Amino acid sequence: MNKIVKFYHEMGSPPSFYRITGYWLKPLLILALGLTIYGLIDGLFYAPPDYQQGDSYRIMFVHVPAAWMSMFIYAVIGICGIIAFVWRMKVAEAVMMASAPIGALFTALTLLTGMLWGKPMWGTYWDWDARMTSELILLFLYIGVMGIYSAYDDDPRKAARLAALVAIIGLINLPIIRYSVEWWTSIHQGASISIMGGNSGIKEWSMLRPLLVMALATKFYYLYSMLHRARNYLLRTEQKKSWVTKQLIES
Amino acid sequence: MTHNNSNPYKALQSTILHISHAQCQKGGEPLFAPVDLQLKPGEMAVVAGQNGSGKTTLLEAVAGLGTFCQGGIEFNGEHILDDWLQQSHYVGHYLGNKASLTCLENLNFATTMNGVRSDETRISAALDQVGLAGYEYHHASDLSAGQKKRLALSRLLILNKTYWLLDEPFVNLDVAGCDWLYESISEHIQNGGAALLTAHDNKRIHQKANHLIQLVRP
Amino acid sequence: MKFWILLQRDVLVAWRKKSNIYQPLVFQLLIVTMFPLGLGAGAQTLQKIAPAVVWILALISTLITLENIFKDDYEDGSLALYALSGLPLPMAVLAKATAHWLTTGLPVILFAPVIGVLLHLPGDAYGVLMLSLLIATPIFSLLGTVGSALIMNLKNGGMLLSVLIMPLLAPVLIFGAGAVLETTLGNTPAGHLSLLAGCLVLSLTLAPLAAAAAIKVNLE
Repeated sequence: MNKIVKFYHEMGSPPSFYRITGYWLKPLLILALGLTIYGLIDGLFYAPPDYQQGDSYRIMFVHVPAAWMSMFIYAVIGICGIIAFVWRMKVAEAVMMASAPIGALFTALTLLTGMLWGKPMWGTYWDWDARMTSELILLFLYIGVMGIYSAYDDDPRKAARLAALVAIIGLINLPIIRYSVEWWTSIHQGASISIMGGNSGIKEWSMLRPLLVMALATKFYYLYSMLHRARNYLLRTEQKKSWVTKQLIES
Repeated sequence: MTHNNSNPYKALQSTILHISHAQCQKGGEPLFAPVDLQLKPGEMAVVAGQNGSGKTTLLEAVAGLGTFCQGGIEFNGEHILDDWLQQSHYVGHYLGNKASLTCLENLNFATTMNGVRSDETRISAALDQVGLAGYEYHHASDLSAGQKKRLALSRLLILNKTYWLLDEPFVNLDVAGCDWLYESISEHIQNGGAALLTAHDNKRIHQKANHLIQLVRP
Repeated sequence: MKFWILLQRDVLVAWRKKSNIYQPLVFQLLIVTMFPLGLGAGAQTLQKIAPAVVWILALISTLITLENIFKDDYEDGSLALYALSGLPLPMAVLAKATAHWLTTGLPVILFAPVIGVLLHLPGDAYGVLMLSLLIATPIFSLLGTVGSALIMNLKNGGMLLSVLIMPLLAPVLIFGAGAVLETTLGNTPAGHLSLLAGCLVLSLTLAPLAAAAAIKVNLE
């Protein structure tokens, strides 16, 4: 128990966060790359074709993990936002701001792969169905968090606190937005084609396996990329502190 | 808690503003070395320092607009801000005049917002004192820079607050205006008021100050 | 008491600069003219899009007025007057939001039937249109205070404000325009309206706190 508490306190201080996470970067990158390569080969070549969608469903192995990450990362941002705002924890600010562009990227990737998938499936690149619409709004929320931060670029501390506030407001609103959008589509056009459910649901392990591998791969990639960015963020915002100078001399 | 608002002797109690080991930050970096000050009625303190040394930031934080990253203020030995807000008034770079309102309306708003009953004759008298007699119904936007400053400073005369917090009050005032302000501050101090101000270009007020706070890099 | 003083002052300031009040309405009129020009003047086409267009115009014309809610007060220093007056900041925000609603939301509600007529909105939808706007325009003003507080010391914060506020207003638009649409289709708008009212209650409780927090951070 004591070890956990000690670890928590260490992760809260920028210098030890920087030092500890430095050891994690390489393993995380190797895991992310390895799993991605394995998952893609498994998904693209070994998983059986879908009996309805043929081969075009394979984009799912990128689309679905990216969609999961887009929501997961916003949750991380929101929670870090709360920690950063209430306890003024610098590492939480770093993790929050480091996560935002990655989350936005995954959201954009989700939208893009969704569009590419939509063309053969629905005959159109874009359909205003509940998932795509709320994913698009999620992208706006990400842009808002990053936008307010970059608008106050002269004072990173204030920028981070305002961005945290925006993230918290977004976190509160996200369920309302998702609910309202789902409600909206159910009224306007009836339930659209369900990707995961119904007849095209995944039943076979050989299909599920690459999906899970890719989900893990995106998690590791996120961790790697986020820590990398968070470390740089701390270096940049703490540049006048002595530990940064020491780090720079050492490396 | 012995603190009691209805204490009839409260007005007679001597108040004290205690700034202890206070530091403000910008961009996560402290702006100046820690500041200490005890300010009592009948005293004046001047904050000095180069451009960018954080004079305005310090004054805003003392006024209650900003925050300290370290240390802070105590009023009568308490951290309760309400009492301090009750007895202090801040006039900063942003003067607080609404351009589309008349002088009278501006002062009306300032007084009622501060819980002081608005009284047109008193407002007119204050305007007269700052040299804005007859400007009651002029919009604040029609005034010159110096007149806008005078309008803002006239709030001090109506609001009856003990502690005046003034950020560069002499800027934009003409010679007569500077003289008037100097006299008003002196009079305020003599009558048991207190002032904390910055004035980079006014030697006279520096000489008169009981306390001098020199802001230096940490 | 101080709540009313601030509210009064803001209404007076808006009244002095009447363009603030009528500009959103002129804007609506200008944009609504574009629809028949672009879509063709067929009554049936216009009727179909009318519920959505009236609503979106109300939303956008409000959006362009939000930037200055706190920015003006910050820049002329009168923010300090009420921030230091002892009036709790969330209450001050509420006063500002109320004043903004009185000077922007109310005219927009009253003007909505005009836009409706221009778009051939069916006669039985006007009541619901105005009722839905009556519930929703306070939400615009409340969320507007949050956005305005976030950008109050930025030079060109208008675009950022839209980015911050628009996603939050999506549910309001869905429920509000939906209510009008349901009415034109002959269904009851009760479900939509009650959800809209739910949004109002939520923003009434949370928006003043969020805006006050943003102001505090911005003053640091």
